[in-house]
Amino acid sequence: MARHEVVVVGAGLAGQRAALAAVEAGRDVAIVSKLHPLRSHSGAAQGGINAAVGAEDSVETHIFDTVKGSDYLGDQDAIEFFCREAGPTVVEMEHFGTIFSRAPDGSLARRPFGGAHFPRTIYAADRTGLALLQALWERLGSERFTLYEEWDLTNVVVRDGRVQGIVAFDRQKGDFAEIAASAVVLATGPSGRIYAHTTNAHSCTGDGVAAAYAAGAALKDMEFVQFHPTALLESSILITEGARGEGGVLTNASGEKFMVRYAPHVKDLASRDVVSRAIVTEVQEGRGFTGPYGPYVHLELMALGRERIESRLQEICDFARRFAGIDPVTQPIPIYPAQHYMMGGIGTNARGETSVAGLFAAGEAACVSIHGANRLGGNSLLETLVFGKQAGLAAAAYAEGAPAPAMRATDLEEATAPLRRWSSRTDGEDPSALRAELQATMERYAGIYRNEADLMEGIRRVRALKARFERVRVVDRSSVYNLNLTDALETGHMIELAETIVVGAYARTESRGAHARTDFPARDDARWMQHTIARRTPEGPNLSYAPVGYTRWAPTERVY
Amino acid sequence: MADATVSVPLDVYRYQPAVDHEPRYQRYTLDLAPHTPVLTALLKVRAELDPTLALRYSCRSAICGSCAMQINAKSRLACETPVGPEVASHGRIVVEPMRNQGVVRDLVVDQTPFWRQYARIEPHLKLDPAQPMPADRPNPMTPEEVERFHDTPRCIACAACFSACPAVEADPAFPGPMALAKLYRFVVDPRDHGRQDRLVRIQTEGLWLCLRCHLCTDSCPKNVRPSERIRDLKEMAIRVQGPTERGSRHAVGFKENIRTGGTLHELKLVRQTFGLAGTAGQVGQGLRIWRKKPEIVKRPRPIEGREELESIYAALDEEDGAR
Repeated sequence: MARHEVVVVGAGLAGQRAALAAVEAGRDVAIVSKLHPLRSHSGAAQGGINAAVGAEDSVETHIFDTVKGSDYLGDQDAIEFFCREAGPTVVEMEHFGTIFSRAPDGSLARRPFGGAHFPRTIYAADRTGLALLQALWERLGSERFTLYEEWDLTNVVVRDGRVQGIVAFDRQKGDFAEIAASAVVLATGPSGRIYAHTTNAHSCTGDGVAAAYAAGAALKDMEFVQFHPTALLESSILITEGARGEGGVLTNASGEKFMVRYAPHVKDLASRDVVSRAIVTEVQEGRGFTGPYGPYVHLELMALGRERIESRLQEICDFARRFAGIDPVTQPIPIYPAQHYMMGGIGTNARGETSVAGLFAAGEAACVSIHGANRLGGNSLLETLVFGKQAGLAAAAYAEGAPAPAMRATDLEEATAPLRRWSSRTDGEDPSALRAELQATMERYAGIYRNEADLMEGIRRVRALKARFERVRVVDRSSVYNLNLTDALETGHMIELAETIVVGAYARTESRGAHARTDFPARDDARWMQHTIARRTPEGPNLSYAPVGYTRWAPTERVY
Repeated sequence: MADATVSVPLDVYRYQPAVDHEPRYQRYTLDLAPHTPVLTALLKVRAELDPTLALRYSCRSAICGSCAMQINAKSRLACETPVGPEVASHGRIVVEPMRNQGVVRDLVVDQTPFWRQYARIEPHLKLDPAQPMPADRPNPMTPEEVERFHDTPRCIACAACFSACPAVEADPAFPGPMALAKLYRFVVDPRDHGRQDRLVRIQTEGLWLCLRCHLCTDSCPKNVRPSERIRDLKEMAIRVQGPTERGSRHAVGFKENIRTGGTLHELKLVRQTFGLAGTAGQVGQGLRIWRKKPEIVKRPRPIEGREELESIYAALDEEDGAR
């Protein structure tokens, strides 16, 4: 049995940063990832990373913007820590070798982003995630650690109230294996594939969040799902908020720049939840376009001119040309909101500690919470690095004092017996079909606008899928790169998480940030300024509530 | 954007080395809009026709580098290759794993050799302890310095270039286009203190094995243009160390050779490349060439208008000096 002091699951920015911190603390570290680290979804982040380094800007303003953006559900103490770490984090990544875009004076270039008072988003053209991912992997690559590449997480093993290790599936070898660990950091990123239309990669199936939930860890604020306003029609490929930061505008079917009616002060650079709802409202009130791939509005970049589009928005320019046959230099880009980010996740504090001893989480898989009910653009890349490091440090410190992990020979058998049955069935449910039904269900019943009847129906349908998943069948009998088995694992994870989203959304009878209830359109601070905590029971998620970390910023009405 | 569908015959390479005697091609036929990416077609095959098909994929937006494969014999990303033009020009779409990497299953290849070459060029900033990074602030770097990276920061390590490269196939000592483009990225980085060492080392570690066929640049989905950066590395290496290697002596010899007579004096180039002792070792090869091409031993007659040539060289030297 393999054994390490710290096992990090996920090798995007949060996982790599956690691993680097634990390695530097002298621990024996392993990284387990279903993708080669350079193929992680962090690399798809486009727009930038926030740090208040400009002369006119301040950490205080960054804190306030983030608190307001969260619609007062973010923990203010954690947000203060987060924003103070921003400057040093960006400097560190520059020292690691990140190739940022630069201003003429040689300083880091900055662009305006939604919900921010000042241009605060530091970037590398429109591939900031890729630039950071390359630099961090290059930095981490000169350290000693073990990489388990293309391994799918199946279980976190918890006994005696603490983590003992993990069980995972080695794709290339085609077998399950256990890895004993004193501390486990889950940094498995997004779960956006729960929705039919998402900017997320196919690999974003919430494996770590689901494994933590199954192991008894508390999930937090799962009902808060961010829809990015500008996803390319049909493919839902992300068009960065940086496009509007550089001066792009949204227009409806009459050519009207409609955001002025929804956010008179900052217009197209309002917070993402605000802009996404505005687009849906335009369409619902008959002012959008319709086409074979559904309704849409236009994102116009033409006024920026060819030079600026092709230098600062190089990737999305390529995307629009290749994936939509649109040249943004001369034509508007057809866009519609799509699922983009999960504010919720494994509940942690600012040290990455979860409700289970020895289990840590960071990045999109975690919920600290700094994003509250709505995340600001440019804050998630920062989150991966700030809290990835914290989780790595905390895991390293925990592992140093923890007793040796007590994995048993039977742990592997117990964890994988149900999974092995999937392959021995002669009849049963197709995981791909279940996944497609789940995605359509969540899109229809737990999307941008929600109401009681829809959410009730969503719960009913997700539970029906959960029951059918009991009979899931894997038809591929090969032991090598069996993606049919991976499909089933991921689909099971997504169904569990979907249930926490619809149940949490049904219970929360208010509108806050990305959670918009048409039957409860107002924010209700007296009753709902609190985090939703979901714990797994055989009957479904058990909900409880926890107070929001509050320091200085009294909730006020959120206007952009 | 609504297209009528076309019938798309996909001939997909299927192979499990531990089980199958040899690879086979399986035909799947789908009706798809012409702009549908090949990846979407393959995922439709997996979801609706055959869940046993194995391939790597993730982002579906040309940024994770997972889905490089051979599509009608060209190494490309499946996620950004539309089916319509492929069917129009080939009548079908043959989908095969990348080359120069062993097959794990179907379209999934073993990327170990690719990553080994990447690691070989020491892909991390080399620091000089005597010149630490500025405390608490970023290094300054001008937009012009950023320009010097060209498009190398766009590399997504998809290995399409590694698959397309004949030098990789011919010689495991060749690091391959991606690794060399990555090396270039560090050589031009003003923060890196390994520039001189990197250039000297790569002269003897494969730089001159590049055949200058430009298939890497042709296959790169992100316009990294590895062959141009390899050319830059060669120029920089000669400038740093002089023509110490056979490859660099050949390049410099070629240039001087043409300057003298306006046409290639092949025997002289052999001497320039291999040196006197080395030339002796080339006698057998020389004889074989001489039998087919006896004029090789004659000194070529200087071409007309050599004066013009000299002004071209002068201009080139001036440009070189300006760098």
